[in-house]
Amino acid sequence: MITLLAFTSLALLATVHQSDSIVIYTGWERHALVGSDIRLSCSFFSWHWTSEDVTFSWSYRPDGAKDSIAIFHYTGGAPYVDNKGPFRDRLEFVGNPPRRDGSILLKNLDFGDNGTFTCDAKNPPDIVGRASSVRLLVFEKVPVQAGVITGAIIGVVLGLLVLVVAIYYLMRFLVARRVFTLSLSKKKGKGKEGSQPKQASVFDTFTH
Amino acid sequence: MLALLAGIFLIHLTGIILLLAATINNAWWVTDTVSTDIWARWVWVNGAWNYTDLPDIHTYGEEYLQAVQASSCLACIFSILGLFVFLGQLFTLPKGKRFAFSGIFQLIACLCIMIAASIYTDRFHRNEAGGWYGPSFILAWISFVLTFISTIIYFVLRKKTA
Repeated sequence: MITLLAFTSLALLATVHQSDSIVIYTGWERHALVGSDIRLSCSFFSWHWTSEDVTFSWSYRPDGAKDSIAIFHYTGGAPYVDNKGPFRDRLEFVGNPPRRDGSILLKNLDFGDNGTFTCDAKNPPDIVGRASSVRLLVFEKVPVQAGVITGAIIGVVLGLLVLVVAIYYLMRFLVARRVFTLSLSKKKGKGKEGSQPKQASVFDTFTH
Repeated sequence: MLALLAGIFLIHLTGIILLLAATINNAWWVTDTVSTDIWARWVWVNGAWNYTDLPDIHTYGEEYLQAVQASSCLACIFSILGLFVFLGQLFTLPKGKRFAFSGIFQLIACLCIMIAASIYTDRFHRNEAGGWYGPSFILAWISFVLTFISTIIYFVLRKKTA
């Protein structure tokens, strides 16, 4: 048993070591209001320890454009933010590279910021990996998804139904139990003839 | 007795089927080229029907559309639940008692579809002359009548055999 476990774990480790690449995680899509700030998160998974030479780079491709422009780079322990491009004075680094977090903060969003943001992280010697992209959508008013209200109404009504049925059966159970204990105590005190008719009548009045 | 039960069951079942047809089919309002509500819109373009979204929530009916959607869904759900409750009560109800529980479910279903159809009648397509109310709308009102009849029957009927 133990040898089987050791063998499988060794095999697993071997296969995993084969796919020794860095995996980068960003969101898929982000929604934001005009004029607000948004934090675009980027983190990665790597089998190696976080090296001192870890690098993060963010690039931006506007909606409809073909080329992307680099807007952020972190290397050698220092962040370099955009000072010439579309995000000058609007970009801030809020990540924590030793904790594998390379998130950036975009301030005062505008409709022109709609586009795709790509994060690429490298953790030497783990440098082979795919960059990950997050799409930013800037709205004037956050749209309410059409189905949410409908679903909420249906859910609440059904929940109330379940609650009412549960309370009904609970009350019935409690009253039956109370009557049962009452009749037991009466039996001990007086005897059978006195208690039987009383028990029946209480039941009848409730279920009617 | 058996014929009566079969009849009641059939009325309930017909009510359910009509409710489902009214809720699922997108044909509450029909024009020559458009068949719409309450979930999406069919548009006749270039010789084929195209399935499109309804206009934005703020320009088309606002929140009333969600109310119609929710109450017609709830009417279907309560009617179907009521059918199972009726079948259950058939076997567990003591002799001489009324089918109150099933009646309550049918009553709620009746109220819900009435709410849905009324809101739709009052708030949508008030100034449009180029179309007419479609089959789903008519079925919604018919199922209101059927569920109402069903409710009355359940509240009046007494269980004859144990």
